[in-house]
Amino acid sequence: MIGEISHFLSLSAVVILSLILIFNFFFFFGKIHPNQLSLSIRLFNQACWLVFISFAMYVYLAVNDDFSIAYIASHSNSQLPIFYKISSIWSAHEGSMFLWIVFLTAWSIFFINSLDDSHSLKKTTLLMVSLIILGFLLFLLLTSNPFERVLPFGAIEGADINPVLQDPALAIHPPMLYLGYVGFVISFSYITAYLFHGNFELEWEKDIKNWSLVAWIFLTIGITLGSWWAYYELGWGGYWFWDPVENVALMPWLAATAFMHSLYASSKSSVLKTWTMFLGILIFALSLFGAFIVRSGIIDSVHSFANDPQRGLYLLIFSGLITLLALGVFAYRIPSLNGSKFVVSGSKESFLSMNNILMVTSIFSIFLGVTYPLIIEAINGEKVSIGPPYYNTIFTPLILITAIFIMASVDSLWQRSKHLKSYVYKTFFPVILTILFTYFVWHITETFSILSYIGIFSGSLILFTYLLRVLNNFFYKKFINKGSAVAHIGLGLLFLAVSLNSILSYEKNLNLAPGESIFVNESIKEFSFDDIKVLKASNHDVISVEVSLLQDGKNIFLNPQKRKYATRGQITTESSIYTSILKDTYLTIGDQLENGSWTFALKINYFIKWIWFSASLMVMGMLITIFKKKAT
Amino acid sequence: MNKSLRFLIVLVPIIIFTFFANVLLIEEDGKFLKFNTKNFPSFELNDLNGIPVKYEYLDGIKLVNVWASWCITCLVEHPFLTKLSDANIQIVGLNYKDSNNKASAWLQKHGNPYILSIYDPRGDLAFDLGVTGAPESYLVIDNQIVAHIQGEMTPKKWETIFHPLIKKASNET
Repeated sequence: MIGEISHFLSLSAVVILSLILIFNFFFFFGKIHPNQLSLSIRLFNQACWLVFISFAMYVYLAVNDDFSIAYIASHSNSQLPIFYKISSIWSAHEGSMFLWIVFLTAWSIFFINSLDDSHSLKKTTLLMVSLIILGFLLFLLLTSNPFERVLPFGAIEGADINPVLQDPALAIHPPMLYLGYVGFVISFSYITAYLFHGNFELEWEKDIKNWSLVAWIFLTIGITLGSWWAYYELGWGGYWFWDPVENVALMPWLAATAFMHSLYASSKSSVLKTWTMFLGILIFALSLFGAFIVRSGIIDSVHSFANDPQRGLYLLIFSGLITLLALGVFAYRIPSLNGSKFVVSGSKESFLSMNNILMVTSIFSIFLGVTYPLIIEAINGEKVSIGPPYYNTIFTPLILITAIFIMASVDSLWQRSKHLKSYVYKTFFPVILTILFTYFVWHITETFSILSYIGIFSGSLILFTYLLRVLNNFFYKKFINKGSAVAHIGLGLLFLAVSLNSILSYEKNLNLAPGESIFVNESIKEFSFDDIKVLKASNHDVISVEVSLLQDGKNIFLNPQKRKYATRGQITTESSIYTSILKDTYLTIGDQLENGSWTFALKINYFIKWIWFSASLMVMGMLITIFKKKAT
Repeated sequence: MNKSLRFLIVLVPIIIFTFFANVLLIEEDGKFLKFNTKNFPSFELNDLNGIPVKYEYLDGIKLVNVWASWCITCLVEHPFLTKLSDANIQIVGLNYKDSNNKASAWLQKHGNPYILSIYDPRGDLAFDLGVTGAPESYLVIDNQIVAHIQGEMTPKKWETIFHPLIKKASNET
């Protein structure tokens, strides 16, 4: 019964949202009736609440194991802890789409109600978000209904959530990511409304600035959590795979990053306004594209949901129409958007625009990498994969140029160029330090790979530039943009950590019988296979292995496991990781060989924790920016 | 601003959407271009265990499969290749732009359907072969390439393209 009520509430939201759109359509060309706006807002708020209550009831159903609902029966299980019963809702297509819509609704209701009733864009923005929410609700109910019942008799027990998804990081990874994706519905709808309206005197940047910063933070956290989870849970020992789904998350992130930089620039000088608007539209368009790629099953990926062309077609048509609507108005209005077109070369905004162009180039390269297999498939019906070699080769030069522009922009001025001499003077120390540091790395590691060294050079260039700024601020009280400094130090560290990781890390595959011990290399003098046990846990059997290592004169105990899950029969590998400041010792067990020995994959991953640390620095920098704004 | 730029802003998304709609709607059909037999390029490389492999090795009937540990579609076709290898088809792997460690770990983790895997980290042989990406498969009979597909090896492609050629070749000998 509760299932039906929940279903009915979602349907009612569809009806109300349609009413708002129809009702406003008839008045669109006429004068605004005094009650028209307040009625629309009231209806809109009600529709949003219906969606929230419907979702809350759905959560209640999942927590109480209502296995007569097909989706819950096939993705949850009565043995699961409550936490995972809830997270099972977003472990597959239908439920995660529902969550996506709930977040979309939440962002929209907060934003709409934050605008004054007298705000001239309130009505059009409200209509835009209503249209988007309506489109996705219809998508949910028509093609992927999570409320469907198994009739006449429900299942007695659920089929369980996929075991690799039974993990705290993964339970919060999708919500964070979705909060980020759909958060940009605000900039999208608001900019579209602004363009529709044609009142270009209005200062539009400040209304959406902080909303976009917050959405960026969620998106960054979501991507980082996903990468962290993949590292310790999937047992591959990697943190980024250039998987199509990772790529479609990276594209909106890059667009959002470019958007925030140019938003900053257009608030300081009048250039880049048109460009900023385009980026604001692009972010959400790319999010929609991502949703389409993931949910249509058009590309083979570890993330993709079940293949269903009908879903794909609906999503494609709907996101296509929404995007074309926005881009169409944008193209129509370009001539009236009179920003100053004159950019002083050598000014801060000129460097920002250069990096903006680089970020859009990156987006384009990723887009090409994602679609290339499809283009090939369309031409001769074959499937190919584009792998890391493509992306590494494309990205490394872009990163180097980005680093140089970042260095140049730090000391540049708004709307003014500086004398070339002052640049040479300012960049002298970071460049020298970077060269010395890169040489130092080469001296220590004695390995060389051109791509990684470009990465190290770029990373340390950004890092030293900003560290010197921080020192200058500390000793000479020179001005520093704290948020930007922290975020860019994070970026420099990220490039550095990724490059160092790629040249220093190594893998060893070992075969050992229980009780045996061997010499691995100079760093790991002893690797002993101490014990193996078979244990039983609530919903899985465990093969648990105890290994001790004598690494760099220290004794380390590792406990990798293999788990066999009862309900799905799936086997998962639980890695065991020992972390020190510089490196992770990462161990997984493989299979038992005929002679009774076991295979082990031992990976020494350098600077891997630094990757996530640098991502958190970026988030912190953004938080500083937001709170500094609030204070002033 | 430029009129053609405004036009492009709308046109490019339309092209992209039409393309994707096409991809969604087109049924995957088994059309394959007729293949002209050509010589397998000569090469001197090692296999993943460091043992040298030469051109002469590719006599008899061998399936050459281009793979890499970073390639997702390779993992998709992997069970079918294993089936083929169980049916005594000799599959020679061409490990493409990969690292030895990762490739060996991949084989250890998922199983090894190859009699050996030629290690081609720089893609030299792959370049001579005209490989565009992984996976690709070549049917080589007595050092002659007689068939080539790009992308996943499916039972359907096997039955329609490769199997008849193998049957013909083994009848002749």
